[in-house]
Amino acid sequence: MMERASVHPCATRCFRTASLVFFLISTFSVQAQKFIGTRLEYLPEDYNLELLEVETVATSDQWVAFDQLVPNLGMGAGVEWMRLTLDPMTENGKLIEIQNAGIDDLTCFMVCDGKIIANYPGGVMNAPSEGHQFGTYPSFPVPLVECNELHALFRMHSNKPMIIPLRISGPRKVLEDAHQRDVLFALYAGVMLVMLLYNLFLFLSIGDRSYLEYVLFIFAIGGTQLVLNGYAPIFGIDRWPWLNLRLTHLFGVFSGITTIVFVQNFLRLSRYVPWLNKLLNGYFILYLLALGLALIGRLEWSYQLINFCAAAIFFFIPGTIITMRKGYSPAKYFLLAFTVFILAVVVFVLKDTGVIPYNAWTFYALPMGSAIEVVVLSLALASRINQLKRETVNAREEQLRVSQLNEQMVREQNTILEERVAKRTAALESANSSMKDTLVDLQSAQQQLVQSEKLASIGQLTAGIAHELNNPINFVASSAQSLRRDFEDLNQVIDGFKALDPDDPELLVALAQLKEMFGKLDIDFTQKEIEELLHGIEDGTKRTSEIVKGLRIFSRMDGDNFTSAQINELLESTLIVLRSNLKDQAVVEANMGEELPLVSCQPGRLNQVFMNIITNAAQSMEATGLAIEERIVEISSSQVESIGQSWIEVRIKDRGTGMSEAVKSQIFDPFFTTKSVGEGTGLGLSIVMGILSDHNAEVEVETEEGIGTEFIIRFPL
Amino acid sequence: MINVLYLDDELHNLTAFRAAFRRDFHVHVTTEPTEAVRILREQPIEVIISDQKMPTLSGVEFFELIMPDFPDPIRMLLTGHADIDAVIDAINKGQIYKYIAKPWNESELKEMVNEASMLFHEHKAVSSRGEVLLHKMQEARAMALRIQRITDQASNLNAEQTAEINRNAIEINRLLTE
Repeated sequence: MMERASVHPCATRCFRTASLVFFLISTFSVQAQKFIGTRLEYLPEDYNLELLEVETVATSDQWVAFDQLVPNLGMGAGVEWMRLTLDPMTENGKLIEIQNAGIDDLTCFMVCDGKIIANYPGGVMNAPSEGHQFGTYPSFPVPLVECNELHALFRMHSNKPMIIPLRISGPRKVLEDAHQRDVLFALYAGVMLVMLLYNLFLFLSIGDRSYLEYVLFIFAIGGTQLVLNGYAPIFGIDRWPWLNLRLTHLFGVFSGITTIVFVQNFLRLSRYVPWLNKLLNGYFILYLLALGLALIGRLEWSYQLINFCAAAIFFFIPGTIITMRKGYSPAKYFLLAFTVFILAVVVFVLKDTGVIPYNAWTFYALPMGSAIEVVVLSLALASRINQLKRETVNAREEQLRVSQLNEQMVREQNTILEERVAKRTAALESANSSMKDTLVDLQSAQQQLVQSEKLASIGQLTAGIAHELNNPINFVASSAQSLRRDFEDLNQVIDGFKALDPDDPELLVALAQLKEMFGKLDIDFTQKEIEELLHGIEDGTKRTSEIVKGLRIFSRMDGDNFTSAQINELLESTLIVLRSNLKDQAVVEANMGEELPLVSCQPGRLNQVFMNIITNAAQSMEATGLAIEERIVEISSSQVESIGQSWIEVRIKDRGTGMSEAVKSQIFDPFFTTKSVGEGTGLGLSIVMGILSDHNAEVEVETEEGIGTEFIIRFPL
Repeated sequence: MINVLYLDDELHNLTAFRAAFRRDFHVHVTTEPTEAVRILREQPIEVIISDQKMPTLSGVEFFELIMPDFPDPIRMLLTGHADIDAVIDAINKGQIYKYIAKPWNESELKEMVNEASMLFHEHKAVSSRGEVLLHKMQEARAMALRIQRITDQASNLNAEQTAEINRNAIEINRLLTE
């Protein structure tokens, strides 16, 4: 008993307090009690207490009195001896009661004047003797003997804390108290059972795992209390001593683990307070270790480890507060439940340490706290389920909201898309219409260009045609005037002849005069001249009409309708129109095929084609330095067979400068020209190409620099 | 009668021209430029009329060609269509007197030929007056030289007389040089 005798170090006290807490969690005492711990004496550890015989102890005079009303021997693993001195006069027939159902092995010896007159077994491991134990606490009757000195010796051994709330009462009182305790414990057990069954039912109907955990939790807590309060034998557990001895430890481990599991899941520690969750996981290992220790028989170590682990309950408060702060509302109930329970524990402990009075309320604080805790936790669980449901509902609502939002967004997007599509469509339509406008503009510009090219051609022609027409008109007109004069001369002679009278004697004289006049007027010359002038007039008239005819054919330029026409006629009319232009540029050698079939064409436009190519041919020879007689434009037409088809082929060949491949590849491009600025529009051949492709005509250009160029055009028949 | 040369590649024009003006002028016609040159050489041609548009060479080119050898005859260009380039060339290169459009108006043309002839003769007169003047100047210069030579030989003349004569000679010379 060195430890107890020495000054209590803080650690020991704390440890004892913790042990007491765990012990008292499951301990009931009835009403306000009068414990008589100070009357109890113990033998110091100077002896080998285990081996002492009761006779030796009985005669020992080494007893030391406790200074506590409820002596606490802590976890002394060995055998303890205690002595209670009884007053044989007043206390015989009463019952000595140790209100601790957790002492493993307990024997009470009654010593009358140093003589052992009775012994009673008790404790967890010993079936109590018939007729002297009322309720769950070991109690021993004080024998009705006459003695000077009457002692009760207790031999105790336990793997659990040896707290000895000792009292002496009359049997009736003990019986009443036991009865009352039983009732109260039955109430408690009823509450626990109801909660257990209720939550089991909930688990079976709802299937939520947390209900099962809670059921196990209740079972463990209730079971622990059942064991600690000594009700285990009701279930016949005492038939298995091995199990019976370890029942407290097993329930301790069981309730510890179920509590932690329940708390972890209930508070969702893995989510809200991960560090605590990990810490509590560590406790599992400790509990398993405690279980292992209990199984191999190291019961006191196991018990201490279980006690140590029980302190984990203090972590629940900050964990709960953190969880609550994070918006988990069921934690409120949890906090309330554990606060109540811890308060109950605190009250219980304070009661035992004498800080607050030892009365019924303080005595019942623990079971009340436990019951309240279980009920509140049940509510908490319901709240948690509701919370989960709410969360589920919220989640569904959120999902619904999100999906509605999505739908709305999709709708909005659709609207936006539709708007965009509409805008785009409108833009495209507008672009399309502007492109149409542009196309129309381009077409009109093209028409204008073609028209201006036509006008340019016409303008170019005008000079030549004017000259061509002016010449015959000039000499026809002039000849007419001259003829008049010539005829006047002739008329003079004729008048002279008219005036002659065959009967006139002076006829010869008159004739001579006439002859003279004849000579003077040079009538011979006049006659010859008349002949020439008439010839000129005829020729001029013929040429004029030819030109007019050519112009008429040529001037079908505006007639863009397809009609059947003789290609040769078109070529000839073009040549007539071009004659004066070509006169000082080139000589045309035409070799037209005979009896060619008619070609469906636009004559006016084909004239433009021929005029363009022939003019180019003539102009290409200007720079060659050839004499005019050598500048020959060969024009031929013929019918040919090619690619299984009949064609009218027109060849226009010059002896001009020819073209390089680069130039040749571009001659049909609009605005391409080899002429200097202002001399050509660069549109001629591109228009030619357009016209010819309208006729499905094939165009071939053979050219060699310095030799000349030949255009070969084939019109399909 | 005024000698007129008409060059045109169109034979009918020549016929018409001759028929129209043979009673008024001495008409020479040809279609060939070479023949025209021959005529110019052989005949005292006062007025030359040429068609502009001809196959081998144009009227302006023809005028340009003959100008060095025959600067005096008055040149007139006859054309069917007024082409601005031709007009510019005619004035700058061919130094023509008149530009006549076809078809010609007979009386106008006749008038123009007459005027051209008058111009020709005026030119001729001016140039012959110039020749006379030149001739006289040469004579005066020769005379002045002769005087100087005589005065040089007559060294016996007194200085004052010599100076007087020299001054006169110098004065004559100056006048002539002007």
